[in-house]
Amino acid sequence: MNCLEFHRLKLADPRRLSAEAQTHLEGCPDCFAFAQDVDRSERKLEQALITPVPDGLADRMLLGRRGSSRRVWRVWALAASVVLATALTVVYLGSAPPDQYARLAIEHLVNEPEALTTLRDADAEAFRTIVQNFGGTVKALPGRVRYIRLCPLEDGTTGWHIVFETPEGLATLLLVPGKQPDATQVASAEGWSALARPTPRGYYAVVTASSAATARIDRMVQERIDWKA
Amino acid sequence: MRAYSADLYRYAHWLCRDRHLAEDLVQEAFARAWSAWADLRDLAQAKAWLFAILRNERARMFARKQVATLAGELDESQLPPAPSFEPGLEMAQIVAMLPETYREPLLLQVLGGFSCAEIAAMLATSEGAVMTRLTRARQALRQQYTEAGKRKAAR
Repeated sequence: MNCLEFHRLKLADPRRLSAEAQTHLEGCPDCFAFAQDVDRSERKLEQALITPVPDGLADRMLLGRRGSSRRVWRVWALAASVVLATALTVVYLGSAPPDQYARLAIEHLVNEPEALTTLRDADAEAFRTIVQNFGGTVKALPGRVRYIRLCPLEDGTTGWHIVFETPEGLATLLLVPGKQPDATQVASAEGWSALARPTPRGYYAVVTASSAATARIDRMVQERIDWKA
Repeated sequence: MRAYSADLYRYAHWLCRDRHLAEDLVQEAFARAWSAWADLRDLAQAKAWLFAILRNERARMFARKQVATLAGELDESQLPPAPSFEPGLEMAQIVAMLPETYREPLLLQVLGGFSCAEIAAMLATSEGAVMTRLTRARQALRQQYTEAGKRKAAR
């Protein structure tokens, strides 16, 4: 067995090494160090996966009665939601909230926190192509592109979710085709600040952790992307 | 049932990322297991059998579109208000971001304690394919975790 094969076996199942792999481990200092490192990672992984189990779960399973009570609650919650949604529709009929697109951007960011926690180097060229298809031209990048994903948004539309690493910190940019706010919108909620601005083919929204940073990133986006091209 | 309910719940929780949905799924799986108890020929296989039932119940849940319906009931208290860089949470977030083809065999191995051959039988694939997925899953975890550590150190 060579070291490459040992690494593969250790990563595939750290706890079940074959006799041959065990023999290799005992004779190879590099693989011994590698195995110790994998074991440390494995302990962290186990700690992360051991989520708390609800109290009395097994008892409820045995009694088989937990589901019924919560399902009743769900029916009432659903009914209440329908009544509330209907009431809101009546109140706002014909007059959408003036900050709906900015709020939508915050809502989307809160629902996808992983976009900010699992950074990868995304393709800057992909960003340029997306903007081009959106009717714009990138003169300079607003920052290092760290995340790009086409996302279903909470109002049923679809938009590009992009995260930039900027001097202001991480900034989220949503590019949403099809719908346009009448004017620039701003909103703050859940510790986030958003600004949505119409473009010829839809709108974009910038979200950061402060209104000042959002304004600066928006200014940077306006300076570095020509939306009228 | 008592012996496996915690492992099954955790597996369901990591598949669904929703504690209510996970509990429902475990409930459904146990209900189905009770009704099909006579089909279990080898008690030593009870755990793998229960995990397989749970996987199937999840597929049924998707087929019935219950998952989409329940998405509106997401418990917002489970969402971090801002990106978290706590060590435990960070690893959990990295696991959550793994593609399901990598995450599922990893959960079966770490939470279920199953071997590659057992996982291959459960996922109806080859042992070699499972080993490849597990190797890549751990490589991805280690790489992401190391990069996260560097980012933290740089701040």
